[in-house]
Amino acid sequence: MSSLSASKLQKTNEIAVSIRNVGLTYTTAIDRRPTLKARVKALGRGGKQTRVVRALDDVNLDVEYGQVLGVIGTNGAGKSSLMRCVAGILPPSQGRIEVYGSVSTLLALGVGFNPSMSGRDNVFLGGLAAGMSRDEIEGHFEEIADFSELGDAIDAPMRTYSSGMYARLAFSVAATVRPDILIIDEALSTGDAKFKEKSLNRVKELRSDDRALILVSHAMQTLRETCNDVAWLHKGKLIQRGEPNQVIDAYQEFLHLGKSAAIDEDV
Amino acid sequence: MSTPLQVYEPFRAGLPKLGKYWKSLWSRRTFISEYSKSELREQHFDSVFGQLWLVLNPLLLSGVYFILIVIIGGTTDSSRYVHLTASLFLFYLVANSLTGGVKSITAGQRLILNTAFPRIMLPISAVVIAIFKFVPTLIVFIVIKAVMGSPFSIEMLWAIPVLLITVFLALGLAITISCINVYFRDIASFLPYLTRTLLYLSPILYEASALNPNLKALEIVNPLFPILDSWSRALVQGEVPQTSSMLQGLAWATGIFFIGTYFFLSREREFAVRL
Repeated sequence: MSSLSASKLQKTNEIAVSIRNVGLTYTTAIDRRPTLKARVKALGRGGKQTRVVRALDDVNLDVEYGQVLGVIGTNGAGKSSLMRCVAGILPPSQGRIEVYGSVSTLLALGVGFNPSMSGRDNVFLGGLAAGMSRDEIEGHFEEIADFSELGDAIDAPMRTYSSGMYARLAFSVAATVRPDILIIDEALSTGDAKFKEKSLNRVKELRSDDRALILVSHAMQTLRETCNDVAWLHKGKLIQRGEPNQVIDAYQEFLHLGKSAAIDEDV
Repeated sequence: MSTPLQVYEPFRAGLPKLGKYWKSLWSRRTFISEYSKSELREQHFDSVFGQLWLVLNPLLLSGVYFILIVIIGGTTDSSRYVHLTASLFLFYLVANSLTGGVKSITAGQRLILNTAFPRIMLPISAVVIAIFKFVPTLIVFIVIKAVMGSPFSIEMLWAIPVLLITVFLALGLAITISCINVYFRDIASFLPYLTRTLLYLSPILYEASALNPNLKALEIVNPLFPILDSWSRALVQGEVPQTSSMLQGLAWATGIFFIGTYFFLSREREFAVRL
């Protein structure tokens, strides 16, 4: 994988990600964990209890540089699965995905994978696993620590973090490392009101002609403000894509919620 | 239009492109060392003795087993004790690789679900951690050997190739068991009994030559047997180990490593959906 730092070329309207006929299916065991007891029972019943999940179904989507794409949909619509495919974490079952640049690989959510290590260690390890060099991370670290406002807590084990602190650190990593294609998943947009505003401003700052931003969110108002394109996924299918207000209106109508305050304010 | 940097297509069984995989693995070698260091720092984070446990552990371990052989075997022979510590410490290099390796993939879930990287880094890190734990024990051993008045000789250097074979074997075992654990989580619970059995089947509490001839089959089915025998011969007795033992150990290590790695590499792209 190439370096995560963005190359400063003018790339407006060039393709960043091309998703062609992508389908993703996987079988999950009904049992929560594949244990021997369950296996013995299953043997008695003759065969394993499995369920085929169709997470993505024939999705076609192009993302261009300079675009800020919002991805919306109900829980389980396949938003995160699609992002994981783009990041190369899940191999698609059908179709083809081409990525023309470095992807943030949702790196931020990998931070905290080991709760007994400090926030600092987690940032370093998450970055190294994503293919960054030590120097690169060191170069960004001050900024990450400052932005997250964690103070001394950065050296405390992550199991002692509140969910807000956790989210702040994750967002700071995602927003500080500047890949060509940045994916920000909804889990990143939590925190108190002050931090929410700060992170929204940061997202606006990150919009640039040589970067493609993909925001997965339920915060419709934020998406209306920041995106210039919105894609709506439902049950693995791409339902609509286009001008943010239009797509979001259709989505909200679909939810029978209208423009209720509950969804607009859930940032 | 420029060529895509990354293309993701449906997953097919079989190995990934090895050259590319190796490059990607090599570029992340700092992860392996950093991960191991953080893990070691964190393991004794809350304890009073902290990093001192790296030395205390082997000392206590050899002490406990020494009590056992004195009571059961009735000997206070110093060479027995030197043999015991040498073998026990090497055994724990393998045992720690196994215990660290078994959960390496399932514990790295968050990382695996959110970052694309060669998954084999996780079991490799487990082995590196085991090596970091092994190094202080080697120093403890040298001190014990000197105190017990056991002679030092140039033949002891034969321990180096034996150690390399052991690391190779530990790597193969860690990779294999981490992969098995993704599909069959129960293996983690079986593991303590597995290592305990392996401990008693290996020439640690007894010497290889003292084994009842009727039990010779143990030598053949236990991958650690020839390795531990060679290790003790070189380090404790200062002899050149038997070539046949060394080759047998190497054959085991190579076999397990290649089968395990093949299994792992052909499966690893599927791990994300299995966790």
